[in-house]
Amino acid sequence: MADYGASKINHDNHLLLDQPLLRLPYELLRKNFRSAHVAYVKDSKYVTTTLKETASGSISGKVSPQDVVKNIDSMLAKMRGLKRKLESHSEEEDRLYQQANARVSHLRELSTIQTVDDVKYEAWSRQRLDRLVIDYMLRHGYIDSASSLSQERGMSDLVDIDTFVNMFKIRQSLLNGSVNEALAWCNDNKKELRSMQSNLDFMLRTQQYIEMTRTMSTSKMLEAIAHAKKYISPFNDTYPLEVESIAGLLAFPPDTAIEPYASLYSPARWQTLAEIFTEAYLKLLVLPQIPLLHVALSSGLSALKTPACHSHQSNQTDHHGHGTASLTTRVCPICSTELNELARNVPYAHHSKSHLLEHDLVLLPTDRVYGRQRLDEYAAKSGLPPGQLKDLVTGDVVSVDKLRKVFIT
Amino acid sequence: MASEKPKLETLQKDFEDISKLPRLSAAVENVDKIIQLLSAAREQVAGTLDTHTAGPTMIKLQNPIKSAFESIENDLKKASAAHKKMGKALNESFPLKPLPMDHDAMADHVPLINRAIAMHLLREGQFSVASTFINEVQGSNSSKQRDTSADLDETMDEAENAYAGRYMSASPTPSDHYDLSSLHSRELHNHFSEMYSILQHLKAKDLDPAIAWAGRNSAELEARGSNLEFELSKLKYIWLFKGPAVNGLPDDDNNGFLGALTYARKTFSRFGARHLAEIQKLVCAMAYAPNLSASPYASTFATDSAFADVASSFTREFCSLLGLSAESPLYLAATAGALALPQLMKYTQKTRAKGTEWTTANELAFETPLPESMLYHSIFVCPVSKEQTTDANPPMMIPCGHVLAKETLARLCKGTRFKCPYCPSEGLLKDARQIIL
Repeated sequence: MADYGASKINHDNHLLLDQPLLRLPYELLRKNFRSAHVAYVKDSKYVTTTLKETASGSISGKVSPQDVVKNIDSMLAKMRGLKRKLESHSEEEDRLYQQANARVSHLRELSTIQTVDDVKYEAWSRQRLDRLVIDYMLRHGYIDSASSLSQERGMSDLVDIDTFVNMFKIRQSLLNGSVNEALAWCNDNKKELRSMQSNLDFMLRTQQYIEMTRTMSTSKMLEAIAHAKKYISPFNDTYPLEVESIAGLLAFPPDTAIEPYASLYSPARWQTLAEIFTEAYLKLLVLPQIPLLHVALSSGLSALKTPACHSHQSNQTDHHGHGTASLTTRVCPICSTELNELARNVPYAHHSKSHLLEHDLVLLPTDRVYGRQRLDEYAAKSGLPPGQLKDLVTGDVVSVDKLRKVFIT
Repeated sequence: MASEKPKLETLQKDFEDISKLPRLSAAVENVDKIIQLLSAAREQVAGTLDTHTAGPTMIKLQNPIKSAFESIENDLKKASAAHKKMGKALNESFPLKPLPMDHDAMADHVPLINRAIAMHLLREGQFSVASTFINEVQGSNSSKQRDTSADLDETMDEAENAYAGRYMSASPTPSDHYDLSSLHSRELHNHFSEMYSILQHLKAKDLDPAIAWAGRNSAELEARGSNLEFELSKLKYIWLFKGPAVNGLPDDDNNGFLGALTYARKTFSRFGARHLAEIQKLVCAMAYAPNLSASPYASTFATDSAFADVASSFTREFCSLLGLSAESPLYLAATAGALALPQLMKYTQKTRAKGTEWTTANELAFETPLPESMLYHSIFVCPVSKEQTTDANPPMMIPCGHVLAKETLARLCKGTRFKCPYCPSEGLLKDARQIIL
């Protein structure tokens, strides 16, 4: 009764979970280029100006030949530095191109597969699961697990370990109470963060300020005021309320119970910062905010789940002591221990028609319904004499004339 | 549709073309040029240290360096143009479709997902990855909060209790088996490493470890109605029968024709009751020994796929005895997820447009067609109310043999009698029987 069309792969819609796979190398290429460009602008400006000044100074006699040599040396140092930087950006670019090509051909493989029953589909889909699991591990910071699974499966081109390792380093530094790493990252991505309207920079600067006022020492308080003037007052228009409460913070000691100052002083603010940072980091790279495995599972668990999966009747412990193992049929993935609890809270699939896995249904005196064929096979396997059948779940042996035919319309 | 070129094919071609475009490496070469110019000038100025050389050298240097910078800018522009092309190709052939993420039903169940992943890794035979994973999860938990550190342990325990057949209530109290945690995850590991070692031997056409396992679990397998033990013995007999030329075992009394006969005498008697006919066939084949392939027994004795078949039924039985499905549930769920996702997206888009919110009802509001291979339970939808039957609203069989949902039946009833909506017969409510499909 299953929909025959359901096993056909809809190529336009089958790669929804795989969008970041191609997006990320592209975003990283752009990011890599941006930092290469910034380095170039800075160093070329220095060399152009120095060269101009040295030339005119040398002609007018203001700069001695010794100083000319010195200036050339500093320009050389800049250019050698630039060369090193560009070289590493160029290597990164090559790596990203190679990765993008590997990924597109991995996704391309799918378009040669027409149905999910194709053996090639299973291999492809298993690799997708590995990717989803690695993505999940990386997002939870299980970096070693992710790298070893990627290594075991030989799929380093298909996973983004470095991207998440960088994210975790910065995240961890925030959780350990240091804003420097996150501020440096903000600085590298200033423009993009501004166009995203991220408040990360503001939140980090505020945290610095909070830490200064927390000390309660006069010199630090003065420093805090200077810091606020320089870094926080520019946000006055964007976050007027917040800036106001920050200004008031100076009047309250760290152990105050008065809001909003108590929550500004709260150590939980570091956790908030880590969350804001993570959100901005992922958004900047067009990565989904939640693990893709979550998306796949919530949709998949529901699609597979039936009312029977958490039913008390079908899960009754049978005479073999295996609560969820229905005999001689395949164990349902939702009934299997791995997913049963997880699936408890998702809705079950919607069906508008009955789907019977068996035909020629009969009712046993045990109130259980089975396909006649399966009952006959089980009786033969159990070595029962003709005319007798055995209930597959309860193990009761019954005589054939006790069967009743069941009609499902 | 079919004649249309797959979009990813186009994309692959585009990516190939784009990766041939100029890259940042060109700029590196031009920076090198500037370094050479500067070095040459330095040599000149430092060689004489004369004001009259230094000034003109520096003036002369300006134009070549300016043009070198211009070429670098040009190189950068080209590299950036290639990236833009890639963005355009992506937008055309692989446009970004936002996934439904407003409601993350899984976010609160990280320990359960961790457990599912750990069990998946173990059943896939990724033992070292699994132990790294378990360590990392436990490590990160204990560094967070003391009271959550047992999450994975606990959930692993539930799993292990379940396969051990001790799974009595739906939610066992965690404290019951907290102490056994490490022991249990090792136990699960041991089970799967046993499975893999047996499978490896089967791959190498060595049946003995599998036969020994089946012997140890003989009663359980028989209760399940599994023929695995006999199938394994049968294959062993056939394999011995084929002799050293085929099986590569030492050419002695334990092999070949004689070896098979000895083996049959020793083993087959216990299967006599259930598999007599087949045993007769196997033994009678002896008569055709020199020319088996032309005999009526040829198909019985073909071993091309026999080892693979026996391996897959071994895996199935092994997992079933642990209360686990033979295929990784995580794999099935993720695959089903990818198949059902377009439906979910369509639904969320439509409901969002209407302003209605996604609700966590008992049942999805839309159909998610899956291939037949992914249906594991019979689904009964009441033909009258069009609702799936549940524990609260179970299927009822009425005397004529038709099946309706309990609530439907209650609505159909006039007093204690009802008429079947599908045939002319009438019945009494007390004669309707609740059935288990």
